[in-house]
Amino acid sequence: MTVLDVAGPGSGVPSVPAVPAAPAAPGRPGIGAARFFGKQGAYWRLMIRGAILLLLTLGIYRFWLATDQRRFLWANTEIAGDALEYTGTARELLIGFLIAIAVLVPIYGGFFLAALDLGIIGKLSGVIAFVLLALFGHFAIYRARRYRLTRTVFRGVRLHQTGSGWLYAVYSMLWWTITIITLGLAYPWAQASLERYKLRHTYYGDVRGRFTGSGTSLFLRGFVMWLLVVGPLLAGLIFAIGSISWTALAEAIERGGDNVIGRIESVSPNFGAALAFISIASTWSFIAAPLLYPAFQAMMLRWWTSGLRFGEMAATSRLRTAQMYGLYLRFMGYSILLLLVIGVLGGAVFGLAPSLLKVAEQSTLAEASGVVTTVIIYAVVMLAYSTMYQVIVKLRLWRLSFETAELSGLEALDKVNAAGVPSSAFGEGLADALDVGGL
Amino acid sequence: MDAMRSGPGVFYDGTTSARHSVSVELERDALLVRAAEGYLLARWPYGELEHLSAHEGMLRLGRAGSPVLARLEVHDPALAAAIDERAATVDRTGASERRGRAKVVFWSIAAVVSLVLVGIFGVPAMADRLTPYIPFGLERRLGEAVDAQIRPMLDTGKKGKAFECGIAEGEKAGHAALTQLVGRLEAAAALSMPIRLAVLRKPEANAIALPGGYIYLFEGLIAKAETVDEIAGVIAHEIGHVAHRDGTRSVLQTGGLSFLFGMVLGDFVGGWAVIIAAKTVLQSSYSREVERRADAFAVELMKKLGGNPRALGAILVRIEGSNHPGIKLLLDHPDTKDRLAAINLAQSDRVAALLTPAEWAALKRICAGS
Repeated sequence: MTVLDVAGPGSGVPSVPAVPAAPAAPGRPGIGAARFFGKQGAYWRLMIRGAILLLLTLGIYRFWLATDQRRFLWANTEIAGDALEYTGTARELLIGFLIAIAVLVPIYGGFFLAALDLGIIGKLSGVIAFVLLALFGHFAIYRARRYRLTRTVFRGVRLHQTGSGWLYAVYSMLWWTITIITLGLAYPWAQASLERYKLRHTYYGDVRGRFTGSGTSLFLRGFVMWLLVVGPLLAGLIFAIGSISWTALAEAIERGGDNVIGRIESVSPNFGAALAFISIASTWSFIAAPLLYPAFQAMMLRWWTSGLRFGEMAATSRLRTAQMYGLYLRFMGYSILLLLVIGVLGGAVFGLAPSLLKVAEQSTLAEASGVVTTVIIYAVVMLAYSTMYQVIVKLRLWRLSFETAELSGLEALDKVNAAGVPSSAFGEGLADALDVGGL
Repeated sequence: MDAMRSGPGVFYDGTTSARHSVSVELERDALLVRAAEGYLLARWPYGELEHLSAHEGMLRLGRAGSPVLARLEVHDPALAAAIDERAATVDRTGASERRGRAKVVFWSIAAVVSLVLVGIFGVPAMADRLTPYIPFGLERRLGEAVDAQIRPMLDTGKKGKAFECGIAEGEKAGHAALTQLVGRLEAAAALSMPIRLAVLRKPEANAIALPGGYIYLFEGLIAKAETVDEIAGVIAHEIGHVAHRDGTRSVLQTGGLSFLFGMVLGDFVGGWAVIIAAKTVLQSSYSREVERRADAFAVELMKKLGGNPRALGAILVRIEGSNHPGIKLLLDHPDTKDRLAAINLAQSDRVAALLTPAEWAALKRICAGS
C-alpha cells in the first residue's frame, strides 16, 4: 500500500513539528531523507473505530476506512521536508467498486451458465474462469496502483502512471507461470521485470521513473534462502523419482485398483525411505519458511528501494534485517496477548455455556441465535487481529521503509513540471471485488 | 484573533514543484499569497478555498475545482485559525466531516438491515416464485451439473466395488425389486420429470434428492430399514422434494444469498466465514418447512398406494437414534419429534403389500456385492 507499492504502514512516536525542516536537508546538498511522524495512538484510534464500523456495516465502511488510512499515512510522510498528500475520496472508491460489480456480475453469470454446459465448455469452465479471473486480478493490481499514484500529490505536482493494464496482466501471468515451474528460482527475474515495467510507466510530474534493481543480484542474495526452504524438498523428490523402478511402476498402474503406492513400495526398496525423507523435508520447509520470512521481506525491500530512480533522484535503503525481525516479534507478542484475552473471555463464556446449551437444544430460535453469536465473536476476533496487524506490522513497515531510505539527487525536485490527470477508481474496485488487495 | 492579518506560508503553484516561501495576507474576502520579493502569486477568494488532507500540524489549502494543484501550506496555528474563521469551507475541527461520516454509517447500517431482511424473507420468496418458471429441461441440466460435482464428493473410494449398488450379478435381483418399487411410487406421484434413483455404497443412513429428479439412497439406509414401507416412505419423501422442485429452489436460494452477502457486501477480514455462517442459519430455517412439506407428500403418496404412511416416521426415529450426532437424517435437523407427530396423524385406509417378501429380501441385498 506504499505510494509506489511494496510495503504498508509504519508507526510513530515522535512529536509533530510546528514547522517542518527548510528546503532540502542538513549535510550535503541534494542528499535528504524521508521521515514519518504519524502517532501510533492516533492510528490505533482510527483503525479501532474503523473496525467497529466495518462490523456494523458488514464491510461497506471499508471505502471510508481505506481513505482515512491513506490520508493518515500520506499526510504524515515527509520527503526532503515536504509532506505527501492523498487526494482520493471514499466516494471514488465506492463508484469504482460499483463499476467493477457491473462488469463482473455478467461474467460470473456467464461462468454459471457455462458450468451447466455438459460439453467441453462445461468441463473447461473451471480452468477458463481461473485464468480469466487471475488475469483480471493482475490487471486490477496495475490499475489500482494507477489510481493511488494519481491521487498522490507532492509539492503541488501529482504522480501518474501510463502503460497498459492488460499487457501488465499478461506479463505478470507469464512470469508467475515460469516462477511456479522453476519452483521459485525465476522469482527474482520476474520481480525485476515487473518492477521495471511499473516504474518505467511511473511519472512524478514530467520526470519518468525507472527501476535499476537486477534479477541476478536479487537471485544471488536470496539463493541461500531458497536452498534452505525448497532445497530439501526438491532433493527428496529427486531421490523418490530415482528410487522408483519404472517397469514395476508401469505394471502397478496397469493393474490399477487400490494401493498403487503400496505396490510401488514393494518393488522399489528405497521408495519408502524417500517418502519419509519428503515428509521430514516438508515439515522442515513449513517451519523454515515463516522463520525466514522477515529476512526475505527485508531483502526484498532493500533491493526494491535501492533500485528506485526518478530522473536524477535515487534512493538507497539502509534497512537492517534485525529491524524487520523486531517488527514481527512485537506482533507475535501482541498476538499472544490477544489470544490470552480471547482465552479468558472464551473461558468465561463457556463457563456459562452448559445452562445456555440446554436452552439451545430446545428451540430453533435459540439455536439460530447461538450460531449468530458464534459468527459475531468470530468476526470480532478476526477484526481485532487484523487491526493489530495493520497497526503493528503495516504501520511500522511503512515507517521503516521511508526512514531507512537515503535519497540523493534531490536538487532535481525543484524543477519538476506538472503532468498527468487523475484516473478512475475502476482498478481499485476490481481489486476489491476480486479480493486481490485493492483497498 | 482579528488582529492576525498576515503570516508565513509555503506555496506551490501547481505547475512546477518549486517551493516558495511566501507571506499570506488576509483581506476582507480573499487571501493573498505574496512571494518574498513582494509580487503577488495568487489571490484566492475565501469561498473557493478547499481544505485538503494534511497532518495535524499543518493547514493545507487548495483552490476548489481548479485543475491546477496549487497548494498553500500554513504551519502557524494562529494564522490557520484566522483563515478558518474567514472561510466556511475550512473545517479544522473536522465537525462537518464527522457529520458526513455519520450519515454514511447510518445509511450503511440501514442498507445492511434491509439486505438481511431481503435475505430472510425476500430471497426465499423470490426463489419460490421463480422456481415454477424454470423449464424442466434447464432443471435437468442443472441436476446433471450438480450430480457431476456431488458424486466425487460422496465417492470416497476404496472397497474395489462399484460405487453404485445393483450392478454386480448378485445385486441384479435387488435392483429389479427397487426399480419396480420406484416405478409404482413414480406412477402414483405423476411427476413431470423422470426419477433417476441409485443406491450408493456409503455407510451413512441417509438419502438425498438433487435437482432434475436425481435421488440417492445410501447403503446404510437399506441396512437400517426393517420393512419395505420404510424404504418406500423415504423414497416417497425424496420424490416429494423432486415434485416440489426443492433442489432447484435451493440452488436459486443459495445463488441469491451468495450474491447478496458475497458480492454486494464484499469481503472484509474473515468475511467469508461470516457469509457462510449467515447462509447456514438462513438456509436451515428455510429447510424445516421444506422437510415438512416433503413428509406430507410422502404420507399422501403412501396412502394412495396402500402402504403404511407411518413407516417413514419409524425409520426416522430409528436412524436419529443410531447416527452420529453430526450426521442428521434425510437432510436437516433436530425437530424430528415435530415431524414424527405430523406423520403419525396419518391413517391408512387400505393395506396392500408394495413388494412380495422375496422381492423385499432381494432389495435388502442390493449392496451385497457379487
